[in-house]
Amino acid sequence: MVRLVTGIKNLDHILEGGIPAYSINIVSGAPGSGKTIFVQNIIFNCARQGMKTLYLTTISESQFKMVRNLENFRFFQDELLGDKIVYDDLGMILRTQGASQALQYLGDLIKKYLPNIVVIDSIKVIRDLFPDEKNFRMFLFDLAATLSVWEITSFLIGEYEEQELTRLSEFAIADGIFHLYGQEEKRFQKRYMRILKMRGTSYQQGEHLFQINSNGIEVYPRMKPEGEELHYEIKHGRKKFGIPELDEMLGGGLREGTITLVSGATGSGKTLLALKFLIEGAYRGEQGVFVSFEESAGQLQSTASQLGWDISKFLHSGQLDIRFISPVELDVDKHAFEIMEMIKEKNVERFVIDSISSFENSVSDLKKYKDYLWAIGQLLRKQHVTSIFTSLNENPFSSLIVSKSQISLIADNIIFLRYVEDRAGIRKVLGILKARGSNHDKDLREYEITSSGINILGKLEKPDMLR
Amino acid sequence: MGEVTKDVIVRYETLLKEMWSESAKYLGILSTNLLVERVIWELSQEYPAIQLLKYGPEGISCTQILTSVEKGFNDLEEMFMKFITRYVSILAKLLGHERAEEIRKKIITEFGGAF
Repeated sequence: MVRLVTGIKNLDHILEGGIPAYSINIVSGAPGSGKTIFVQNIIFNCARQGMKTLYLTTISESQFKMVRNLENFRFFQDELLGDKIVYDDLGMILRTQGASQALQYLGDLIKKYLPNIVVIDSIKVIRDLFPDEKNFRMFLFDLAATLSVWEITSFLIGEYEEQELTRLSEFAIADGIFHLYGQEEKRFQKRYMRILKMRGTSYQQGEHLFQINSNGIEVYPRMKPEGEELHYEIKHGRKKFGIPELDEMLGGGLREGTITLVSGATGSGKTLLALKFLIEGAYRGEQGVFVSFEESAGQLQSTASQLGWDISKFLHSGQLDIRFISPVELDVDKHAFEIMEMIKEKNVERFVIDSISSFENSVSDLKKYKDYLWAIGQLLRKQHVTSIFTSLNENPFSSLIVSKSQISLIADNIIFLRYVEDRAGIRKVLGILKARGSNHDKDLREYEITSSGINILGKLEKPDMLR
Repeated sequence: MGEVTKDVIVRYETLLKEMWSESAKYLGILSTNLLVERVIWELSQEYPAIQLLKYGPEGISCTQILTSVEKGFNDLEEMFMKFITRYVSILAKLLGHERAEEIRKKIITEFGGAF
């Protein structure tokens, strides 16, 4: 099938290669939802591929404002105007001479310019010029036939509300429908796109985040766990922490390709334990990625050096990659997708998210958070990446809450870190709740964090200290 | 000369009628006529006689070409061949190559393997 490659970041991926050629596409949404920029971005990208667009406005003044506003985007290229992108007005002829003359005029323009793409902005304004539904429907039908016969891919832009999408005749003739909308979500004003229909191709359904920045439109596909049962090869290798006692407790280290939840209270050493895991991998020549939502790379480097771990050489060589995403900026729709892409692109063997609690806190929709985490988990397993997710336990003296939202179900292994009271002091203990495929140590072990690293001490001898 | 030319036009008319009705099954009458209009427009500079090809809801007709044959149009056969080739190539893009091929095969059968 011939497709029109939009060139918009990730959109062609969602559409499995692009928009089917010669299709009629409606781009709907409220004013300010990004419809015009979306289509303009596509036509400028296509113009750079040599395609020609006829852009028909319905209110003549809007053309000037539109071009002026576009100049701020990187996709805009002055020299394409008039050659590859031709603007004209259809509104005036419709208002003064009627539908059949407007179609005749459109036909003449098509013969003159032989465009690959025709945009009508806006089809909703044209609808309002018709006295009744019957005449508008006939106009639409003729319009659709004309565009198809001339092998034109078209975009009809309209300010439609979501409830209009199923009942108006223009949606019946459309091959594709892109609906754009925005909503307030936690601290962000989010923009979403849904593809409601796309004849002739499969596509990723659901709500996709998109952003408008100086590059134009960037889409972040909705992440969801795969529907089908995940099949992947189980590896028998072990990935060590490089802390002999802990590796021993785990039966030789973490099973390769498994996900470990490290749950603990604040200050218990979750981040350090996860970092140590990556450093050990780096010493063994394995690529590691640490996604931090809490501490910057500089802070982590400084903490590591206080424990005698020099990570600068690994950071410099790229063997260890620390990606800090500020919790203030954290947008799971975008960052979860970027994390997935990073895992796919790099030959990652060890991977850490510190912490999934920050991840969770930035999501207004808990179901979406679980879906994202499951999707990331599935990808990690599929790629045989041995991973650690740290999770904050808000009750420092309880081991019972491993994670909120039943996320512990995703984990193959669970290590918990907690505090215990001992007379007038506080001690730290570590335990392994589960280690899939391993006969793990069931004892609680005291541990300490000193300038020489993490040391696992003896068994906790006074069980009454646990409350 | 005149009789031979008329025979050729009649044969092509049969072929075009078949092509028109087969296309209309898939595209509908409106789109089929729009497609005919497009191809006529594309060829009209090179072959002005193609503008005498008439089409409408009832189908396609070469009557006006036949009545004007005395005007001595050149390359009528070449004109029809180009019309059909262009028409089928657009049809292939609109309907997909498989369906266009089916239509082409039907035309071949009707026209005794000339294409």
